[in-house]
Amino acid sequence: MNREEDEIISRCQQGDQQALKEIFDKYHKKVYGIAYGVVRQREEALDVVQEVFLKLFRSIKNFKGRSHFYTYLYRMVMNTAIDHKRKAGKQFMSSLDEEGSFEPSEEAEKGPERILLQKELEERVRLAIDKLPDEQRAALIFRDVEGLSYQEMAEAMGCSIGTVMSRLHYGRKRMQESLKDYVKLHARSHGASAAEGLGQADKEGEGR
Amino acid sequence: MTNSCSSVSTVLEKYFDQEVTDEERFLVEGHLQDCQACRDVLKSMEELRTLVRVPVEEAVRNEDFPWVWQKIEREIRLQEKRTWWQSLRSWLDITPFFKKKVWIPALATVVVLLLITTQIILKKTPSYPDASVVEYVESQNDNVMVYQLEEPKVTVIWLFEGPEEERTTI
Repeated sequence: MNREEDEIISRCQQGDQQALKEIFDKYHKKVYGIAYGVVRQREEALDVVQEVFLKLFRSIKNFKGRSHFYTYLYRMVMNTAIDHKRKAGKQFMSSLDEEGSFEPSEEAEKGPERILLQKELEERVRLAIDKLPDEQRAALIFRDVEGLSYQEMAEAMGCSIGTVMSRLHYGRKRMQESLKDYVKLHARSHGASAAEGLGQADKEGEGR
Repeated sequence: MTNSCSSVSTVLEKYFDQEVTDEERFLVEGHLQDCQACRDVLKSMEELRTLVRVPVEEAVRNEDFPWVWQKIEREIRLQEKRTWWQSLRSWLDITPFFKKKVWIPALATVVVLLLITTQIILKKTPSYPDASVVEYVESQNDNVMVYQLEEPKVTVIWLFEGPEEERTTI
Protein backbone atom coordinates (compact mmCIF):
# COMPACT_ATOMS: atom_id res chain seq x y z
CA MET A 1 0.00 0.00 0.00
CA ASN A 2 1.48 3.37 -0.93
CA ARG A 3 1.60 6.39 1.31
CA GLU A 4 -0.97 8.34 -0.68
CA GLU A 5 -3.48 5.51 -0.42
CA ASP A 6 -2.69 5.14 3.28
CA GLU A 7 -3.58 8.76 3.78
CA ILE A 8 -6.85 8.44 1.82
CA ILE A 9 -7.84 5.36 3.81
CA SER A 10 -7.02 7.09 7.07
CA ARG A 11 -9.22 10.05 6.10
CA CYS A 12 -12.01 7.70 5.10
CA GLN A 13 -11.72 5.94 8.46
CA GLN A 14 -12.43 9.29 10.07
CA GLY A 15 -15.63 9.62 8.05
CA ASP A 16 -14.34 11.83 5.24
CA GLN A 17 -16.76 11.36 2.35
CA GLN A 18 -14.38 12.93 -0.14
CA ALA A 19 -11.84 10.23 0.70
CA LEU A 20 -14.46 7.60 -0.11
CA LYS A 21 -14.99 9.33 -3.45
CA GLU A 22 -11.26 9.04 -4.15
CA ILE A 23 -11.38 5.32 -3.35
CA PHE A 24 -14.44 4.99 -5.59
CA ASP A 25 -12.66 6.77 -8.45
CA LYS A 26 -9.72 4.44 -8.18
CA TYR A 27 -11.50 1.12 -7.74
CA HIS A 28 -15.04 1.33 -9.09
CA LYS A 29 -14.24 -0.41 -12.39
CA LYS A 30 -12.51 -3.29 -10.64
CA VAL A 31 -15.36 -3.57 -8.17
CA TYR A 32 -17.91 -3.56 -10.97
CA GLY A 33 -15.86 -6.09 -12.93
CA ILE A 34 -15.77 -8.57 -10.06
CA ALA A 35 -19.44 -7.99 -9.26
CA TYR A 36 -20.45 -8.41 -12.90
CA GLY A 37 -18.27 -11.50 -13.16
CA VAL A 38 -20.28 -13.10 -10.38
CA VAL A 39 -23.85 -11.93 -11.01
CA ARG A 40 -23.63 -11.39 -14.81
CA GLN A 41 -26.50 -8.91 -14.67
CA ARG A 42 -25.97 -5.19 -15.13
CA GLU A 43 -28.51 -3.94 -12.58
CA GLU A 44 -27.47 -6.47 -9.97
CA ALA A 45 -23.80 -5.67 -10.47
CA LEU A 46 -24.49 -1.96 -10.03
CA ASP A 47 -26.43 -2.68 -6.83
CA VAL A 48 -23.44 -4.64 -5.59
CA VAL A 49 -21.11 -1.71 -6.36
CA GLN A 50 -23.35 0.65 -4.41
CA GLU A 51 -23.67 -1.72 -1.48
CA VAL A 52 -19.94 -2.39 -1.36
CA PHE A 53 -18.99 1.30 -1.13
CA LEU A 54 -21.63 1.98 1.52
CA LYS A 55 -20.43 -1.03 3.46
CA LEU A 56 -16.84 0.09 3.03
CA PHE A 57 -17.64 3.56 4.38
CA ARG A 58 -19.25 2.03 7.47
CA SER A 59 -16.63 -0.62 8.13
CA ILE A 60 -13.34 0.79 6.87
CA LYS A 61 -12.38 1.60 10.46
CA ASN A 62 -11.95 -2.17 10.89
CA PHE A 63 -9.26 -2.25 8.23
CA LYS A 64 -5.98 -2.52 10.14
CA GLY A 65 -3.62 -2.51 7.18
CA ARG A 66 -2.44 -6.07 7.76
CA SER A 67 -3.19 -6.93 4.11
CA HIS A 68 -3.32 -4.92 0.92
CA PHE A 69 -6.31 -2.63 0.84
CA TYR A 70 -7.41 -3.89 -2.58
CA THR A 71 -7.49 -7.52 -1.43
CA TYR A 72 -9.60 -6.40 1.55
CA LEU A 73 -11.91 -4.58 -0.85
CA TYR A 74 -12.06 -7.41 -3.39
CA ARG A 75 -12.98 -9.88 -0.69
CA MET A 76 -15.80 -7.58 0.36
CA VAL A 77 -16.99 -7.33 -3.25
CA MET A 78 -16.90 -11.08 -3.75
CA ASN A 79 -18.85 -11.77 -0.55
CA THR A 80 -21.42 -9.09 -1.33
CA ALA A 81 -21.88 -10.31 -4.89
CA ILE A 82 -22.30 -13.92 -3.77
CA ASP A 83 -24.84 -12.81 -1.13
CA HIS A 84 -26.75 -10.88 -3.79
CA LYS A 85 -26.76 -13.89 -6.01
CA ARG A 86 -28.11 -16.09 -3.25
CA LYS A 87 -30.83 -13.60 -2.35
CA ALA A 88 -31.87 -13.19 -5.95
CA GLY A 89 -32.12 -16.99 -6.22
CA LYS A 90 -34.42 -18.11 -8.96
CA GLN A 91 -34.80 -14.63 -10.38
CA PHE A 92 -31.51 -15.25 -12.10
CA MET A 93 -32.59 -18.47 -13.71
CA SER A 94 -33.13 -17.93 -17.35
CA SER A 95 -35.37 -19.75 -19.77
CA LEU A 96 -32.34 -21.67 -20.96
CA ASP A 97 -31.76 -22.93 -17.48
CA GLU A 98 -35.38 -23.92 -17.04
CA GLU A 99 -35.04 -26.14 -20.07
CA GLY A 100 -32.35 -28.02 -18.24
CA SER A 101 -29.67 -28.28 -20.88
CA PHE A 102 -28.56 -26.06 -23.69
CA GLU A 103 -29.05 -27.26 -27.24
CA PRO A 104 -27.90 -24.74 -29.84
CA SER A 105 -30.38 -24.47 -32.67
CA GLU A 106 -29.40 -25.51 -36.18
CA GLU A 107 -30.20 -21.96 -37.28
CA ALA A 108 -27.64 -20.62 -34.90
CA GLU A 109 -24.94 -22.46 -36.77
CA LYS A 110 -25.49 -20.38 -39.87
CA GLY A 111 -23.39 -17.26 -40.41
CA PRO A 112 -26.17 -14.61 -40.16
CA GLU A 113 -27.17 -16.00 -36.79
CA ARG A 114 -23.82 -15.25 -35.26
CA ILE A 115 -25.19 -12.49 -33.04
CA LEU A 116 -27.77 -14.81 -31.64
CA LEU A 117 -25.08 -17.38 -31.12
CA GLN A 118 -23.00 -14.83 -29.27
CA LYS A 119 -25.95 -14.08 -26.97
CA GLU A 120 -26.43 -17.76 -26.37
CA LEU A 121 -22.76 -18.15 -25.65
CA GLU A 122 -22.86 -15.39 -23.05
CA GLU A 123 -25.87 -16.99 -21.43
CA ARG A 124 -24.17 -20.36 -21.48
CA VAL A 125 -21.04 -18.97 -19.85
CA ARG A 126 -23.16 -17.26 -17.22
CA LEU A 127 -24.94 -20.48 -16.41
CA ALA A 128 -21.66 -22.37 -16.26
CA ILE A 129 -20.30 -19.78 -13.82
CA ASP A 130 -23.54 -19.96 -11.81
CA LYS A 131 -23.06 -23.69 -11.37
CA LEU A 132 -19.61 -23.33 -9.84
CA PRO A 133 -19.22 -23.52 -6.08
CA ASP A 134 -18.63 -20.04 -4.61
CA GLU A 135 -14.92 -20.57 -3.93
CA GLN A 136 -14.18 -21.85 -7.42
CA ARG A 137 -16.16 -19.02 -8.98
CA ALA A 138 -14.24 -16.49 -6.90
CA ALA A 139 -10.90 -18.04 -7.92
CA LEU A 140 -11.81 -18.03 -11.59
CA ILE A 141 -12.93 -14.41 -11.57
CA PHE A 142 -10.02 -13.13 -9.50
CA ARG A 143 -7.56 -14.84 -11.83
CA ASP A 144 -9.13 -14.82 -15.28
CA VAL A 145 -11.00 -11.52 -15.07
CA GLU A 146 -8.94 -9.41 -12.69
CA GLY A 147 -5.58 -11.06 -13.27
CA LEU A 148 -4.63 -11.35 -9.60
CA SER A 149 -1.58 -13.42 -8.75
CA TYR A 150 -1.91 -16.57 -6.65
CA GLN A 151 -0.50 -14.66 -3.68
CA GLU A 152 -3.02 -11.84 -4.05
CA MET A 153 -5.84 -14.34 -4.47
CA ALA A 154 -4.78 -16.18 -1.33
CA GLU A 155 -4.90 -12.87 0.55
CA ALA A 156 -8.30 -11.92 -0.86
CA MET A 157 -9.79 -15.35 -0.26
CA GLY A 158 -8.16 -15.93 3.11
CA CYS A 159 -6.60 -19.27 2.20
CA SER A 160 -3.27 -20.81 1.15
CA ILE A 161 -1.78 -20.63 -2.33
CA GLY A 162 -2.23 -24.40 -2.64
CA THR A 163 -5.96 -24.00 -1.99
CA VAL A 164 -6.13 -21.20 -4.55
CA MET A 165 -4.53 -23.45 -7.19
CA SER A 166 -6.86 -26.28 -6.38
CA ARG A 167 -9.98 -24.08 -6.58
CA LEU A 168 -8.81 -22.60 -9.84
CA HIS A 169 -8.04 -25.99 -11.33
CA TYR A 170 -11.40 -27.54 -10.44
CA GLY A 171 -13.26 -24.38 -11.43
CA ARG A 172 -11.69 -24.45 -14.88
CA LYS A 173 -12.35 -28.14 -15.25
CA ARG A 174 -16.03 -27.70 -14.46
CA MET A 175 -16.30 -24.77 -16.83
CA GLN A 176 -14.76 -26.79 -19.64
CA GLU A 177 -17.19 -29.61 -18.96
CA SER A 178 -20.18 -27.26 -18.93
CA LEU A 179 -19.13 -25.53 -22.15
CA LYS A 180 -17.83 -28.42 -24.19
CA ASP A 181 -20.97 -28.85 -26.34
CA TYR A 182 -21.08 -25.22 -27.18
CA VAL A 183 -17.40 -24.95 -27.90
CA LYS A 184 -17.55 -27.73 -30.50
CA LEU A 185 -20.30 -25.85 -32.30
CA HIS A 186 -18.50 -22.57 -31.88
CA ALA A 187 -15.40 -24.05 -33.44
CA ARG A 188 -17.37 -25.28 -36.46
CA SER A 189 -19.18 -22.02 -37.01
CA HIS A 190 -16.08 -19.87 -36.62
CA GLY A 191 -13.67 -21.96 -38.62
CA ALA A 192 -10.29 -22.18 -37.01
CA SER A 193 -11.45 -20.52 -33.84
CA ALA A 194 -9.40 -20.71 -30.71
CA ALA A 195 -12.50 -22.27 -29.20
CA GLU A 196 -11.57 -25.47 -30.97
CA GLY A 197 -9.09 -26.02 -28.20
CA LEU A 198 -11.74 -26.60 -25.59
CA GLY A 199 -13.48 -29.35 -27.53
CA GLN A 200 -10.25 -30.91 -28.71
CA ALA A 201 -8.72 -30.90 -25.27
CA ASP A 202 -11.87 -32.50 -24.03
CA LYS A 203 -11.55 -35.32 -26.59
CA GLU A 204 -7.96 -35.80 -25.60
CA GLY A 205 -9.02 -35.96 -22.01
CA GLU A 206 -11.57 -38.66 -22.81
CA GLY A 207 -8.93 -40.67 -24.62
CA ARG A 208 -6.54 -40.60 -21.67
CA MET B 1 -0.45 -36.95 -24.62
CA THR B 2 2.86 -38.65 -24.09
CA ASN B 3 4.32 -40.11 -20.93
CA SER B 4 6.28 -36.97 -20.28
CA CYS B 5 3.01 -35.02 -20.18
CA SER B 6 2.43 -36.29 -16.67
CA SER B 7 5.64 -34.64 -15.49
CA VAL B 8 4.53 -31.33 -17.02
CA SER B 9 0.81 -31.47 -16.20
CA THR B 10 1.35 -30.41 -12.60
CA VAL B 11 2.98 -27.16 -13.67
CA LEU B 12 1.12 -26.56 -16.92
CA GLU B 13 -1.62 -24.53 -15.23
CA LYS B 14 0.97 -22.57 -13.25
CA TYR B 15 2.74 -21.90 -16.54
CA PHE B 16 -0.52 -20.66 -18.04
CA ASP B 17 -1.00 -18.35 -15.04
CA GLN B 18 2.61 -17.15 -15.27
CA GLU B 19 3.43 -18.41 -11.80
CA VAL B 20 6.29 -20.78 -12.67
CA THR B 21 9.95 -20.52 -11.77
CA ASP B 22 12.53 -20.16 -14.56
CA GLU B 23 13.36 -23.83 -14.23
CA GLU B 24 9.71 -24.87 -14.57
CA ARG B 25 9.23 -22.56 -17.55
CA PHE B 26 12.21 -24.16 -19.28
CA LEU B 27 10.77 -27.62 -18.63
CA VAL B 28 7.28 -26.74 -19.90
CA GLU B 29 8.43 -24.85 -22.99
CA GLY B 30 10.75 -27.68 -23.94
CA HIS B 31 7.87 -30.13 -23.68
CA LEU B 32 5.37 -27.95 -25.54
CA GLN B 33 7.55 -27.90 -28.66
CA ASP B 34 6.87 -31.60 -29.17
CA CYS B 35 3.42 -32.05 -27.64
CA GLN B 36 0.29 -30.97 -29.49
CA ALA B 37 -2.00 -32.28 -26.73
CA CYS B 38 -0.49 -30.02 -24.08
CA ARG B 39 -0.56 -27.08 -26.50
CA ASP B 40 -4.28 -27.77 -26.92
CA VAL B 41 -4.80 -27.84 -23.17
CA LEU B 42 -3.16 -24.44 -22.94
CA LYS B 43 -5.25 -23.21 -25.85
CA SER B 44 -8.43 -24.38 -24.17
CA MET B 45 -7.52 -22.56 -20.97
CA GLU B 46 -6.88 -19.41 -22.97
CA GLU B 47 -10.21 -19.74 -24.72
CA LEU B 48 -12.01 -20.27 -21.46
CA ARG B 49 -10.36 -17.20 -20.00
CA THR B 50 -11.51 -15.18 -23.00
CA LEU B 51 -15.06 -16.45 -22.65
CA VAL B 52 -15.17 -15.41 -19.02
CA ARG B 53 -13.33 -12.13 -19.33
CA VAL B 54 -14.58 -10.52 -22.54
CA PRO B 55 -18.22 -9.98 -21.48
CA VAL B 56 -17.01 -8.43 -18.22
CA GLU B 57 -14.65 -6.08 -20.03
CA GLU B 58 -17.44 -5.04 -22.38
CA ALA B 59 -19.82 -4.44 -19.51
CA VAL B 60 -17.25 -2.27 -17.72
CA ARG B 61 -16.53 -0.33 -20.92
CA ASN B 62 -20.21 0.36 -21.57
CA GLU B 63 -21.08 1.49 -18.07
CA ASP B 64 -21.51 5.09 -17.01
CA PHE B 65 -20.36 5.34 -13.43
CA PRO B 66 -20.85 8.96 -12.27
CA TRP B 67 -24.51 8.39 -11.44
CA VAL B 68 -23.51 5.37 -9.35
CA TRP B 69 -21.44 7.66 -7.15
CA GLN B 70 -24.35 10.10 -6.92
CA LYS B 71 -26.55 7.27 -5.67
CA ILE B 72 -23.96 6.28 -3.08
CA GLU B 73 -23.63 9.88 -1.91
CA ARG B 74 -27.41 10.23 -1.60
CA GLU B 75 -27.61 7.01 0.37
CA ILE B 76 -24.88 8.15 2.77
CA ARG B 77 -26.78 11.39 3.38
CA LEU B 78 -29.98 9.45 4.05
CA GLN B 79 -28.20 7.21 6.51
CA GLU B 80 -26.82 10.24 8.31
CA LYS B 81 -30.37 11.42 9.10
CA ARG B 82 -30.92 8.88 11.79
CA THR B 83 -33.26 8.75 14.74
CA TRP B 84 -31.98 9.74 18.21
CA TRP B 85 -32.04 6.08 19.20
CA GLN B 86 -29.87 5.04 16.23
CA SER B 87 -27.50 7.92 17.00
CA LEU B 88 -27.26 6.84 20.62
CA ARG B 89 -26.56 3.26 19.61
CA SER B 90 -23.93 4.37 17.16
CA TRP B 91 -22.39 6.63 19.83
CA LEU B 92 -22.29 3.74 22.27
CA ASP B 93 -20.59 1.68 19.61
CA ILE B 94 -17.82 4.15 18.93
CA THR B 95 -17.18 5.51 22.45
CA PRO B 96 -14.49 3.27 23.95
CA PHE B 97 -15.78 3.74 27.49
CA PHE B 98 -19.17 2.45 26.46
CA LYS B 99 -17.96 -0.45 24.38
CA LYS B 100 -20.16 -3.46 25.05
CA LYS B 101 -17.34 -5.18 26.87
CA VAL B 102 -17.37 -2.36 29.41
CA TRP B 103 -20.93 -1.21 29.72
CA ILE B 104 -22.63 -4.59 29.98
CA PRO B 105 -20.63 -5.69 33.08
CA ALA B 106 -20.91 -2.16 34.49
CA LEU B 107 -24.68 -2.16 34.06
CA ALA B 108 -24.91 -5.63 35.58
CA THR B 109 -22.90 -4.49 38.61
CA VAL B 110 -25.15 -1.47 39.13
CA VAL B 111 -28.27 -3.64 38.92
CA VAL B 112 -26.88 -6.13 41.45
CA LEU B 113 -25.89 -3.34 43.84
CA LEU B 114 -29.34 -1.78 43.53
CA LEU B 115 -30.99 -5.10 44.29
CA ILE B 116 -28.83 -5.64 47.38
CA THR B 117 -29.44 -2.09 48.65
CA THR B 118 -33.18 -2.39 48.06
CA GLN B 119 -33.25 -5.64 50.00
CA ILE B 120 -31.51 -3.97 52.93
CA ILE B 121 -33.79 -0.93 52.85
CA LEU B 122 -36.95 -2.99 52.55
CA LYS B 123 -36.01 -5.32 55.41
CA LYS B 124 -38.44 -5.05 58.32
CA THR B 125 -37.12 -2.33 60.52
CA PRO B 126 -38.67 -0.84 63.68
CA SER B 127 -41.49 1.60 62.93
CA TYR B 128 -39.71 4.27 64.82
CA PRO B 129 -36.74 5.73 63.04
CA ASP B 130 -33.52 6.27 64.96
CA ALA B 131 -34.86 4.19 67.80
CA SER B 132 -32.65 1.87 69.71
CA VAL B 133 -33.79 -1.13 71.71
CA VAL B 134 -33.13 -0.56 75.35
CA GLU B 135 -34.55 -3.78 76.67
CA TYR B 136 -36.29 -6.90 75.48
CA VAL B 137 -37.98 -9.23 77.94
CA GLU B 138 -39.46 -12.62 77.05
CA SER B 139 -41.88 -14.75 79.09
CA GLN B 140 -44.04 -17.79 78.33
CA ASN B 141 -47.12 -15.69 77.44
CA ASP B 142 -45.96 -12.10 76.77
CA ASN B 143 -42.91 -10.34 75.39
CA VAL B 144 -41.96 -6.73 76.06
CA MET B 145 -39.67 -4.55 74.02
CA VAL B 146 -38.57 -1.07 75.17
CA TYR B 147 -37.40 1.49 72.56
CA GLN B 148 -35.95 4.88 73.22
CA LEU B 149 -35.77 7.74 70.70
CA GLU B 150 -33.08 10.44 70.88
CA GLU B 151 -35.06 13.26 69.26
CA PRO B 152 -37.71 13.87 70.56
CA LYS B 153 -37.16 12.14 73.82
CA VAL B 154 -39.76 9.38 73.64
CA THR B 155 -39.87 5.94 75.19
CA VAL B 156 -41.87 3.23 73.48
CA ILE B 157 -42.91 0.08 75.29
CA TRP B 158 -44.04 -2.64 72.90
CA LEU B 159 -46.04 -5.39 74.53
CA PHE B 160 -46.61 -8.67 72.67
CA GLU B 161 -49.51 -10.37 74.43
CA GLY B 162 -49.80 -13.41 72.18
CA PRO B 163 -49.00 -14.61 68.67
CA GLU B 164 -51.87 -12.59 67.11
CA GLU B 165 -52.07 -9.54 69.39
CA GLU B 166 -49.68 -6.77 70.05
CA ARG B 167 -50.05 -3.37 71.71
CA THR B 168 -47.90 -0.33 71.79
CA THR B 169 -47.75 2.24 74.56
CA ILE B 170 -46.05 5.58 74.25
